Amino acid sequence: MDMTRRAALMTSAAIASSVLFPMRSFGQETPRKGGVFTVHYGAEQRQLNPSLQASTGVYIIGGKIQEQLVDLDAKGQPVGVLAESWEAAPDGRTITFKLRPGVTWHDGKPFTSADVQYTAMEMWKKILNYGSTLQLFLTAVDTPDPLTAVFRYERPMPLNLLLRALPDLGYVSPRHLYEGKGDIRQNPVNLAPVGTGPFKFVQYERGQHVIAERNPNYWRANAPYLDRIVWRVVTDRAAAAAQMEAGQIHYSGFSGLTISDSARLGKDPRFIVSTKGNEGNARTNTIEFNFRRKELADIRVRRAIAHALDIPFFIENFLGDFAKRGTGPIPSVSADFYPADNGPQYPFDKKLAAKLLDEAGFKPGAGGTRFSLRLLPAPWGEDVSLFATFIQQSLADVGIKIDIVRTDGGGYLKQVYDDHAFDLATGWHQYRNDPAVSTTVWYRSGQPKGAPWTNQWDWTDPTIDKIIDDAATEVDAAKRKALYGDFVRRANTELPIWTPIEQIFLTAITAKARNHSNTPRWGSSSWHDLWLAE
Amino acid sequence: MRVLTLAGRRLAASIPTLILILIGVFLLLQLAPGDTVDALMAQMGGGDAATARQLREFYGLDLSVWAQLGNYLWRLVRLDLGFSAIYGKPVATVIAERLPATILLMTASLSFAFFFGLILGVVAARGVNKWPDTLISTLGLMFYAMPTFWFGLMAIVVFSIYLQWLPAGGFEDITVSYTGLRRTFDIALHLVLPTLTLGLFYMAIYLRIMRGSMLEVLNLDFVRTARSKGMDETRVVVRHVLRNALLPMVTLIGLQAGTMLGGSVVVESVFSLPGLGRLAYESVIQRDLNTLLGIIFVSALLVIAVNFIVDLLYARLDPRITAGN
Amino acid sequence: MDLLKLYFRSPAAVIGLLLLILILAMAASADLLYPRDPLALAGRPLIWPFSNPRFLLGTDNSGRDIAAQIFHGARISLLIGGVATVISVMIGITIGALAGYYGSWVDTALMRVTEAFQTLPNFLLLLVLVAVFGSTITTVTVAIGIVSWPASARLTRAEFLSLRNREFVQAGRTLGLKDARLIFGEILPNALPPVIVYASVVMAIAILLESALAFLKLSDPNVASWGNLIGAGRDVLRVQWYVSAIPGIAILITVLAVSLVGQGLNDALNPRLKSR
Repeated sequence: MDMTRRAALMTSAAIASSVLFPMRSFGQETPRKGGVFTVHYGAEQRQLNPSLQASTGVYIIGGKIQEQLVDLDAKGQPVGVLAESWEAAPDGRTITFKLRPGVTWHDGKPFTSADVQYTAMEMWKKILNYGSTLQLFLTAVDTPDPLTAVFRYERPMPLNLLLRALPDLGYVSPRHLYEGKGDIRQNPVNLAPVGTGPFKFVQYERGQHVIAERNPNYWRANAPYLDRIVWRVVTDRAAAAAQMEAGQIHYSGFSGLTISDSARLGKDPRFIVSTKGNEGNARTNTIEFNFRRKELADIRVRRAIAHALDIPFFIENFLGDFAKRGTGPIPSVSADFYPADNGPQYPFDKKLAAKLLDEAGFKPGAGGTRFSLRLLPAPWGEDVSLFATFIQQSLADVGIKIDIVRTDGGGYLKQVYDDHAFDLATGWHQYRNDPAVSTTVWYRSGQPKGAPWTNQWDWTDPTIDKIIDDAATEVDAAKRKALYGDFVRRANTELPIWTPIEQIFLTAITAKARNHSNTPRWGSSSWHDLWLAE
Repeated sequence: MRVLTLAGRRLAASIPTLILILIGVFLLLQLAPGDTVDALMAQMGGGDAATARQLREFYGLDLSVWAQLGNYLWRLVRLDLGFSAIYGKPVATVIAERLPATILLMTASLSFAFFFGLILGVVAARGVNKWPDTLISTLGLMFYAMPTFWFGLMAIVVFSIYLQWLPAGGFEDITVSYTGLRRTFDIALHLVLPTLTLGLFYMAIYLRIMRGSMLEVLNLDFVRTARSKGMDETRVVVRHVLRNALLPMVTLIGLQAGTMLGGSVVVESVFSLPGLGRLAYESVIQRDLNTLLGIIFVSALLVIAVNFIVDLLYARLDPRITAGN
Repeated sequence: MDLLKLYFRSPAAVIGLLLLILILAMAASADLLYPRDPLALAGRPLIWPFSNPRFLLGTDNSGRDIAAQIFHGARISLLIGGVATVISVMIGITIGALAGYYGSWVDTALMRVTEAFQTLPNFLLLLVLVAVFGSTITTVTVAIGIVSWPASARLTRAEFLSLRNREFVQAGRTLGLKDARLIFGEILPNALPPVIVYASVVMAIAILLESALAFLKLSDPNVASWGNLIGAGRDVLRVQWYVSAIPGIAILITVLAVSLVGQGLNDALNPRLKSR
């Protein structure tokens, strides 16, 4: 009975890997056609078209119905989906995609470069979150023939940036269902998506379920295997675990279950719990410092706070083996950009923390308190609220009193990024395979007030601004990587944000599933090869 | 005919209240930190300033508060509840989709609570201070002292996981599409645990009220007279006691129509039911003003209707009170 | 004296009183027995109860001592429940009494207000209030008080409606008694018993509302309330169920105590029961 969480997590990890390793044995089985795969759908979105909204909540459904030009393969390298090949001009201003022939939309119309042109110019550039930043300098998409799309940029676009961004930001929508049909955002197709993917949309009952069925005309031979996918809307995570155990749900991705339920299901031979297949969805836990507070504008205070937290203790006791110590804004799973030297790290040292605070002139007052800070934890993720409590507990030990301010999602973004009504904030930074997509905006100055997940800390550093700007247009891959190394070291030295923990989403899936978790963004991918054993 | 006129008058009299509520909540939510675009950005997990600005224009949030309020009221006059930000559909449609689950859950829970509350209350009062009373009262106390969500989760662990008798959540089984009677049975099966979870709490309250009123009425002069005249005990209970004891219970039904909708927020979240309660919670969190105001409008109509019926019942049960004044 | 004798005649009422005293004692002794901040990191998270003598009731998923939180939480929960109930019942009795006694336009106007509050599902209004004004213990308590008064107002009014035409009131009126005297001296004592029974219900609901808010992670995270502990335990409910179960039992006992005392008082106050 007295099983500690750590022991529980270790056992589950051991079982997960023992189940995952003998993948060869699965290879010998004959894939079975048929079956209904049920998926836990935790956070309903306002629409389902991934050309309009980049979030896992959309990909987990829309990514089975619509497809993108490029996805990531098992090794994390770009692999063509709707595009067969690509080529960049030496000046980096033109990138040409050759499209896959013989692909049709679910309504029978052929897929052509006109669809790519329309989607890129009207959706990616104008509406898609992050897409509008990525494609800011896209001037035109030329369509010399139905199977060629030529992207023209005003400034050099690094090919490896585009190819790493497109798996998330490169979903194509059917032009004929959008053009001339009024406001794109209000188009009913957004809630009944039409794509080229392995599954066709059937039905969406709000608050209950979404259903998609096999696309018999799918362009990959013999795919897909499943008859249907059913997404069940379950908002309570404990209830979702109950439904998994009752056999009503086969898969819960993106850490949809609680840490404790994940550990428990990991010990159950009917399930596999693992981080595998989520390498493309790495995130770091963050502490953001508001420089408007004079105490926090002092680098010694920011470093003291970092030294005051025993991160290995927190990881070991609260998060288990599914998390590890973070080293900087670029997580270690990013093979292309993770630097050899991350610059200064801040190991746990309470005495040093106290000394730094003393040096900064913040001596303990009555009751040992030096000063108080308002901490806003983001209201998503169990780990964020656990971490907020841990920050409160740890900083009390060095004389900083923390008041936790609880908010909901809208309130959090408004108070942190628009009203700047916080001293410390803690949440997640999502790394999207290339630092230019969603990482550097956390550090680059000049971000418009109110833009979420950007530098709103009142911190300006010309050095880092220059590194970021240079890297964004550097077409030489090696030079780009080196620049991002500089970026990480500078970020860790100045510490406007601290990224102490690195995590990958957890997948919980039935042991009957085959060909699962085989790409770095598997939960978002099309599942064309997924099948269910008897 | 008289009833209809009465109902019409009641509704007309409620209009100012309704408008006051809607304006009150509208203005209250303006004070909330963040708007529906902030909530949407939180849901998307990222976005840039241009996206946010476009979205604000799209949702009409770039107008002044008074212009927005004016627009809303003007639409309401034309019986248009507006467009839902979260659902991308007219609010009326969204509510119509969610209403059945909630009405079903509330009716089932209320009937369950009322029926068993009444019976157990009578049994307890008749055996006052003897063991049936002690047992029933203790159980009743336990039921309403238990947080509903806790009971719900525990019930899932026992009945869905260990015993596998009942489904753990959802409104109906969607992996197989049933029709007709089979489907009705399937939905009923899914509603057993939610009904118990929501209903037990109210049953405990009805039981206490029923028991209390019974005890009080049993001691009133006319009942004692009836008893001393040698009237059959059961007839005394039914004819005199029940009639009078029902008064406070009926009051409570009127009271709890609104409360129950609130309670269904938590229950619907535990059992992932697609009802109005969860919709209301989501619209608060997502700052979807139109949907929230729409729900308030509809639940206001519901509560007004229930209370009207309660008043009519009241007049029938207690001739000293006249309805309509 | 008579009242006390009547009260102590019921064993249930005595048990209720003992339980209430026990909880009050817990609240009073919290600082003595657990002088440390109950929210501080005390040890490894999720230690089972009775497995480590340092943590009799184990630790929660944030490594905080559950026993310390239970003792300190007794204060918070009694405070939230008590203050919210006082706010709620005071508003309710005043409005219900005035409406029921005066009738006509006073009744109509006050009932409009009551209806407005009732029409809004109370938990929904609570969510809106907390979303708008934030999750601090003060806002949560006041908000709970504000959303839960209509029931006692209705109950008081209903009693007043059926009492105001009774003979003893008529008699008082012919004697030329003032309205205030009639309302508070004559009718209210007779109308009070069901409201007192209901006040214990309000207190129970107040404590449960706070725990429901905490379940949705919307209560004040900086105080050691039982509701917060249940909310924290929600994530580990299926294995480490004790994290939620222990504060659940604490809530259950408190509500039980409050209700039994309420009921005992009602029975003792109710003059009609004397003849039994």
